[in-house]
Amino acid sequence: MSYFDPGFIFLAVPILLLIYNLVPKKIRPIILLVFSFGLFIFISKWLVVFLILSILTIYFVANYLDKLNKKRNELINEEPDNKKAIKEKYKKYKKRILILGIIINVSFLFFFKYLNFFATNTNLLLDLFNIDFNFKIMNFLAPIGISFYTLEALSYILDVYYEKIEADKNILRVALYLSFFPQIMEGPIARYSDTAKDLYAGYKVTYNNFCFGYQRILYGFVKKIIIADRLNFLVNTVFDNYHTYSGATILVGVIGYTVMLYMEFSGTMDIVIGIGGFFGVKIKENFRQPFFAKNISEFWTRWHISLGQWFKDYIFYPVSLSKRMKKLTLKARKVLGNRFGPLISGAIALLAVWSLNGLWHGAGYTFLFYGMYQFTLILLGNIFEPTINNTCKKLHINRQNIVYRVFQSVKMTCFVFIGELFFRAPTVKVGFGMLKRIFTSFNLHNTLKSNQLFTLGLDIKDYFIIIVTLVVIFIIVILKEKNHNIRTEISKKNIVIRWMIYYILILSIIIFGAYGPGYIPVDPIYADF
Amino acid sequence: MRNVVKALLFTVILFILIIISEVVLIPGLDIRKNGIFKQANYELLGEKKNTIDVIFLGDSLVYSSISPMEIWNNYGYTTFDCTEAAQVIGDAYSYLKVAIENQHPKIIMMEANVMFRNPRKRKFKDKIAYILKQLVPIAKYHDNWKKYIGGFSKNNWINPDKGYKYITDIKSSKNKNYMSFSNEYEIIPEQNIPYIKKIIDLCKENNVKLVLVSMPSQKSWRYTKHNTTLKVALENKLEFIDLNLINLNIDWKTDTKDNGSHLNYLGAKKVSNYIGKYLKNTNLVIDHRNDIRYESWYKALEKYRKASFNK
Repeated sequence: MSYFDPGFIFLAVPILLLIYNLVPKKIRPIILLVFSFGLFIFISKWLVVFLILSILTIYFVANYLDKLNKKRNELINEEPDNKKAIKEKYKKYKKRILILGIIINVSFLFFFKYLNFFATNTNLLLDLFNIDFNFKIMNFLAPIGISFYTLEALSYILDVYYEKIEADKNILRVALYLSFFPQIMEGPIARYSDTAKDLYAGYKVTYNNFCFGYQRILYGFVKKIIIADRLNFLVNTVFDNYHTYSGATILVGVIGYTVMLYMEFSGTMDIVIGIGGFFGVKIKENFRQPFFAKNISEFWTRWHISLGQWFKDYIFYPVSLSKRMKKLTLKARKVLGNRFGPLISGAIALLAVWSLNGLWHGAGYTFLFYGMYQFTLILLGNIFEPTINNTCKKLHINRQNIVYRVFQSVKMTCFVFIGELFFRAPTVKVGFGMLKRIFTSFNLHNTLKSNQLFTLGLDIKDYFIIIVTLVVIFIIVILKEKNHNIRTEISKKNIVIRWMIYYILILSIIIFGAYGPGYIPVDPIYADF
Repeated sequence: MRNVVKALLFTVILFILIIISEVVLIPGLDIRKNGIFKQANYELLGEKKNTIDVIFLGDSLVYSSISPMEIWNNYGYTTFDCTEAAQVIGDAYSYLKVAIENQHPKIIMMEANVMFRNPRKRKFKDKIAYILKQLVPIAKYHDNWKKYIGGFSKNNWINPDKGYKYITDIKSSKNKNYMSFSNEYEIIPEQNIPYIKKIIDLCKENNVKLVLVSMPSQKSWRYTKHNTTLKVALENKLEFIDLNLINLNIDWKTDTKDNGSHLNYLGAKKVSNYIGKYLKNTNLVIDHRNDIRYESWYKALEKYRKASFNK
């Protein structure tokens, strides 16, 4: 099941919108909740139990935390002199409850995603020491979107813990926040304060919301059906048999995979945001022109924004601002000086973020390696930034200059390609094998002469369509980077131009889409994470 | 109200644009005579009139087991898979009528499994897919835009698959005996019986030899179906070839795409070769390989080989 199934987006969703609009306002959130649970059950069957358990735990944990906050405040009012002691006491209570909530939710995630990885590696260790015992490897499917909704669940109880929000007394609103159907498969990882209230408000689906929603959905379809699905066969062929291809073809495969991943994931986000818009819910953007970033650090504030923000808020800051880290920074300043000293605590927090970020994507060494690769690049960037800055000043290089900016983006994109190569490769060893072939057996001349690029399931017309569509998307991306609101601008045009744009979009998807015989659509990539 | 009118107008114009695209992209010169939906849903109508000698009727078992291009390459016979996923016998009859109206086939080979499919119990997914296919025929032919860039016109339309679906995936099964002997008979759904009679009568009226055939499938075929099909064949003086009982050297470890349910390309080559041999022995069809009028079949073979190579 994918959001791109015509039956889902052009049949099930319109029926939902119709029913949603016909029922009284109070009932509308219930309709959304029923549909969301229905879709979850359709995909994951009985595993819905784990979603329900997550909802129940965060609901009760958050309310208990809220109760403790209120009780603490009452006691402080009664005994203002004991404020510090009361605060400390209640902080301990709250921490225990919070940890309980975290453990329950993370244990579900661990059970479904990491148990086999853990068992396999433990078995290898046991074999190494000739211990005659092995953990049983079990094969089971995980509930759809468990990586996404678990992070949402944790963000909710953490926000209540930090008193950024109050716990919700309405369990149905909590349930809808966690299970809202467009977000369940591939995110974005929403915060309670961003979506919960609007979701439960039961706003009517207006004509404008309907049109805007479907425009955004069509744009997502262009990315997924015309580009990502067309590249799928090429990517699989190159990555599955890399040793039979030249370095140039492997490079095309790696670029193809990066483009495919971007188009599939951002296309899905277009669908999610479009559907959210129907109900008057503003789901935050998860991509902001990532390939315009100056460096990897900035790239991660533009690509899968909600995940980066989650790790920043709930891992990076709590670790780097902890008492222990502050002490460590003080000591490090004395030993390493004011320039490198403060980097130590940041580096430790960054290591924690990227180890967890890598593992969040999947239980495997390739993902861990991917995380460490990003960590190294960001850390090196932080260390050398002052040096590069000084050098540029001395050489009178203007870092805001367009040529320098393009150089930065190209360099950053090359780093992204290498990262995605390891991300997609079946093993780290294969990843290195592919990288080696790119540098040692590039063979561009032979690749072109032997038409190797046309043996990957794509003919010249397919490449042509991919390039033309990417150029159009690139123009849209440039306009967005320059803060143009394209949809608003289109809506101001006269009806003939507007409709022409829509017809071109729809017919392009129907005619140039890579579907039907001979094409294999990309499975929702992030839904597996 | 204004918005409703706008939405309706938008939909009508979109519908017209889709129809224009369909007229351009759906193959066949008789689109005016047949109409878009008929032309699109019966792939056979894309072929030149009276050029097909053998028609295969049936469901996915046929389009995954018989490759007309393999038969052409080895024997020079012109054949076509008039099939559809989960085809029910009523639809097989409709396709046969269309085939006989437009071609003069010498032999019709009907895959026997369609006799046992209960149209009322067709899977929901298949029903939806069928309705979509009927309603939006362009979905099947949208990729034809590529042919226009290469100087394509409706006059030189070439279909390299002839109804076959090329699949190279291998999902192994065990080489087990799934045809253990039984005295029992599989029941044919009552509503299918009149269609069997209609198909037999239509073939008789048009002097076409009707042969019942079963395609190798560990999951769809069993001895009880063999017994019933044999009974139907004997009662109506038809030939019945049970490919599940004939040794075709099918290796279920390599020749199936979905754990024994359907064959893949490796299996299809074996079945197509056997069917080619069978057709030769009937002496009803002739080898067209040296006939200049069938030049397009060589071009189709070239395309078929290229497509196979790319996959």
